[in-house]
Amino acid sequence: MELFSIKDLSFTYPDEAQKVLNSVNLTVSEGEFMVVCGPSGCGKTTLLRLLKRELSPHGKREGEIRYLGTLQEELDDRVSAGEIGFVMQNPENQVVTDKVWHELAFGLENLGLPNGEIRRRVGEMASFFGINRWFDRKTSELSGGQKQLLNLASVMVMQPRVLILDEPTSQLDPVGAAEFITTLHKLNRDLGLTILLVEHRLEEVFAIADKAVVMDRGRVLFNDTPRTVGGLLRDCPEKGRMLLGMPSAVRIFSGLNATGACPLTVKEGRLFLKAHASNQACRRIEDGELKPLGKELPAVQTKELWFRYERNLPDVLKGLYLTVEQGEIFAVLGENGSGKSTMLRAISGQNAAYRGKVELFGKKLQSYKGTELYRHNVAFLPQDPQSVFLKPTVKQDFQEICSAMGYEKQEAEGVVARLAEQLEISALLDRHPYDLSGGEQQRAALCKVLLLRPRLLLLDEPTKGIDAYAKNTLEQILKELQQQGITTIMVTHDVEFAASCADRCAMLFHGEIMDAERPREFFSTNTFYTTAASRISRTLYENTVTVEDVVELCSRNGGLQ
Amino acid sequence: MKAFSNFHPLVLFFYFISVLLLTMFTLHPVLLFFSLLGAVLFASMLETPRAVLVSLGFYVPMFLLIAVTNPLFSHNGVTPLFFMNDNPVTLEAILYGAAAAGMVISVMYWCRCYNTVVTSDKFLYLFGKLIPKLSLILSMALRFVPLFKAQVKKISRIQKTMGLYSSESKVDRLRGGFRVFSAIVTWSLENAVDTAASMRARGYGLPGRSNYSIYRFTPRDGAALGILAVLLGGSLWGMKTKVLEFSYYPRVAALSLTPVVLAGYAVVSALMFLPFLIEVKENLVWNYFRSKI
Repeated sequence: MELFSIKDLSFTYPDEAQKVLNSVNLTVSEGEFMVVCGPSGCGKTTLLRLLKRELSPHGKREGEIRYLGTLQEELDDRVSAGEIGFVMQNPENQVVTDKVWHELAFGLENLGLPNGEIRRRVGEMASFFGINRWFDRKTSELSGGQKQLLNLASVMVMQPRVLILDEPTSQLDPVGAAEFITTLHKLNRDLGLTILLVEHRLEEVFAIADKAVVMDRGRVLFNDTPRTVGGLLRDCPEKGRMLLGMPSAVRIFSGLNATGACPLTVKEGRLFLKAHASNQACRRIEDGELKPLGKELPAVQTKELWFRYERNLPDVLKGLYLTVEQGEIFAVLGENGSGKSTMLRAISGQNAAYRGKVELFGKKLQSYKGTELYRHNVAFLPQDPQSVFLKPTVKQDFQEICSAMGYEKQEAEGVVARLAEQLEISALLDRHPYDLSGGEQQRAALCKVLLLRPRLLLLDEPTKGIDAYAKNTLEQILKELQQQGITTIMVTHDVEFAASCADRCAMLFHGEIMDAERPREFFSTNTFYTTAASRISRTLYENTVTVEDVVELCSRNGGLQ
Repeated sequence: MKAFSNFHPLVLFFYFISVLLLTMFTLHPVLLFFSLLGAVLFASMLETPRAVLVSLGFYVPMFLLIAVTNPLFSHNGVTPLFFMNDNPVTLEAILYGAAAAGMVISVMYWCRCYNTVVTSDKFLYLFGKLIPKLSLILSMALRFVPLFKAQVKKISRIQKTMGLYSSESKVDRLRGGFRVFSAIVTWSLENAVDTAASMRARGYGLPGRSNYSIYRFTPRDGAALGILAVLLGGSLWGMKTKVLEFSYYPRVAALSLTPVVLAGYAVVSALMFLPFLIEVKENLVWNYFRSKI
């Protein structure tokens, strides 16, 4: 049965010439798990929001949307509110009330259900989602992953027939994201719930979806099973751009110009390589030499660093030793709560360690006086780039830094223009910081902290909430900054990003840094905490950790047989 | 451990109103003694006894302060103990001051217990029935406050790492604080747009909204409410008919111990010690059942 049928749907935002959606035709059948993907700005979020009448953006709309054969405009209010569930990106902002149980009941109260029925449905959903353990808690005490599960559950109590989700996992850490996706899969498989999902992270989702819709510039390019779409992408004229964010197996398949059925998962990818690339004459990629270490003073050196937040709380850092050479891009990986952010704050002087010492460029942290540390030395980019901005336009925020740094007016304009150019945000300077997309916001925030002319850049989860394309841009920017002599330390969950971007990687565990290694060495020796490309190729090659590595080594060995 | 808080919010609210009223409108030493002891014992069941001991460190000096202040200003009474600046300091005034101090401290302890037992959602539940819109608004506000606080902290910290507003100058700091505040206002509005969308998406604004609560009024609650009403009625009757009256001026009255008065004491003490006794009983029952396993 057709749940949604969309005919010739076009949409234009007010004051904009370009159509965001251009004659989109799409049908969603009952029970389908459909994943919608495409580069940012392709109109996927707009499409999803148009499907939920209460959230339709303002603008000019043409074409028609039918839900179960009824035109959207003629839908009953209660059907529209209850049967079409919508979960948004930011877990925080969707929570309405202060208590978990009240949040779960909120939608049902709106529908005017009697107390007894609300009690039953809330109880049922809470136990299905495993919320019973924190049923009585305050919503402000929950973690991001728990909040997003709560948002999903409080939509599910209304017993929707279709669930629409707009990048629901982009603000979550990998563990929370995986749990969320697993729950979605369970809802689809066990309850037959129809799901429409927009996602950045396709590695897991692609394989469990029934349909994959690829959009670009307001049009639907492909709409088929993920396997077929994976094959079609190979011949797509702009495949470099379209493939970003696709599962590693699909990218390897496409990069090798292979034929046949496209592999989707790690397991399929491995079997595919085994069958088609058995030549193993060359099994290693040799790393280029890092520039000789230890000649200059290290950018950061910590010795025996101990830190805890409160006297009675356990230690977060337990005798941490870390040495980062000048000009390196250094990635620190680790689980949630392993103390990664705490470590960054200790290096940037926000947290004072109670034992041990931090030296920056050979000088003790404490001997940097006043604002000296934060001007010309250390810049810190927080996890949430929004918190960097205080002014109504990006430009005014930059000007504030310029005057704080004491630039002359002309000099300031030159510096801002040059940096903005380099970070590809020249066109955004007059916009409000909150109106930018995740990736743009982050580049603008990076630009602001770079105006401090730092020698050392500290990044806290730089890839959180940004899409694959923005990640690619960020990587290029970091490498350019490296050429200019800037040292970068980032803490991240994103193994793929660390593998392709960092010079050295290290794991933070139990408050200590385990040995730092080159990414190829680091990820190829890990079995679990590693990239999908490494897991796909590890039986075949010794140290391939990115898709590019696999494709290159395979081609060196004579390509596919 | 929290047997008493499991009663229906209505029972709890009624109880606290009763004891607060009784405490506030009497200066009878025996009644105040019951009230204070009941409140402190109940508090030590709710919190750890240690926390209550620590709190005594604050309340005892306060008690002394109030008790001493009264005779300095009030010179009524017929039993002068000594003269200060040619003014008599009387025994009656000291005892009156002690009683007033006991009253204030008991009220404070009861309020302390109230805060732990009648949480915000119980209060909202009680008054949400009267004004449904208000209860939702309060609930949203209660969600927003911790969020707001966390964001202020976050933004200030980040601004500091950019070397802004962290100098020693007060003007600079004030200016910084103001800018952070204005940024937060924008942030909250931005936030509110999403929250509003999430509310609309879940059907807020449809006619016939209902009000859900996790509380149920059980027969046990009914019984408790009945008993409380009887005890409160008895106490009020005692106070009205001057059975439970006590006068300090001009001369401290003698404590009468007639059967009627003793009955009055029994009723008041039953009311004041009720929550403590319920907690104790529950603990005993618990231990008893556990020993049977």
